[in-house]
Amino acid sequence: MEENLKWLWYAFSAAWILHILYLWSLSVREKRLRQQLRDLKSLLEDREGRAEGD
Amino acid sequence: MPQPASSINADKSTAPLLIACLVMMLVSLYLIFVWAPTERSMGIVQRIFYFHVSSAFTAFLAFVIGGVAGILYLIKRDHRYDDLSVACNEAGLIFAVVNLITGSLWAKPVWGVSWAWDARLTTMLLLALIYAGYLILRQSISEPSQRAVACAVVSIFGMVDIPIVYMANRWWRTQHPAPVILGGDGSGLHPDMRVALAVATVAMFTLLWCLVRARRRLEQTRRETEALRREVMILEVSGTVSWKKT
Repeated sequence: MEENLKWLWYAFSAAWILHILYLWSLSVREKRLRQQLRDLKSLLEDREGRAEGD
Repeated sequence: MPQPASSINADKSTAPLLIACLVMMLVSLYLIFVWAPTERSMGIVQRIFYFHVSSAFTAFLAFVIGGVAGILYLIKRDHRYDDLSVACNEAGLIFAVVNLITGSLWAKPVWGVSWAWDARLTTMLLLALIYAGYLILRQSISEPSQRAVACAVVSIFGMVDIPIVYMANRWWRTQHPAPVILGGDGSGLHPDMRVALAVATVAMFTLLWCLVRARRRLEQTRRETEALRREVMILEVSGTVSWKKT
């Protein structure tokens, strides 16, 4: 009984850890992309502003 | 046509969906650990079954939606189908891996070994590997349309493996337990166990929905970033050309 409980605990923990890790990876990737998007937008605005100035 | 990421973020159905997912998970955990009876021969370790089987059903559903979205992409060439396809396939792979790991952790105390190269286990592993390959392929092609076409083809190919995985322990003699759902005479589940499995499956479907939405949003942001990067590159090149002319 005790021995089997250990395997049950491992299985449920593994399932939850995998899902949580996946959610965490989604959040990290999203943050990174949003930062890139912000940088690109400011770069584009900067270039367009410079082109208008010329 | 890529949508601006801000319009997706403004979606008001996210919070109710997350609450529904959490409630379903809690109800499911109660049914699995408190309400469902303990199986006579395997004992408490049999409760892994509820997460193991529901994860497999969820992976199958995700891969079927991903495959159908792949077909629709090939017909309509609309990137929204490609976004849906990658979101379903990636989330589906997570559920397939959960299925494989929970299966191994159930097998260790019951069979005495964590893995056996029988038809059901091997076809399921193959299915997971096809989708792992799908994600690697996605990373290796930079041109969006080429990437979407190649990935749609792999996605359809992966979908074809699903009936083989499902039927493996009906077509061949396997170490994997005989099917308890639609398994014919002599098979079946205690009614309380069936309810626990049904609720666990619905809870997993709700979780899949949440994950697919989040992954789709990520893909749309990535598409927007790629488009903007191309625009910057074009500006860079045109700037260089005008500088060379002067």
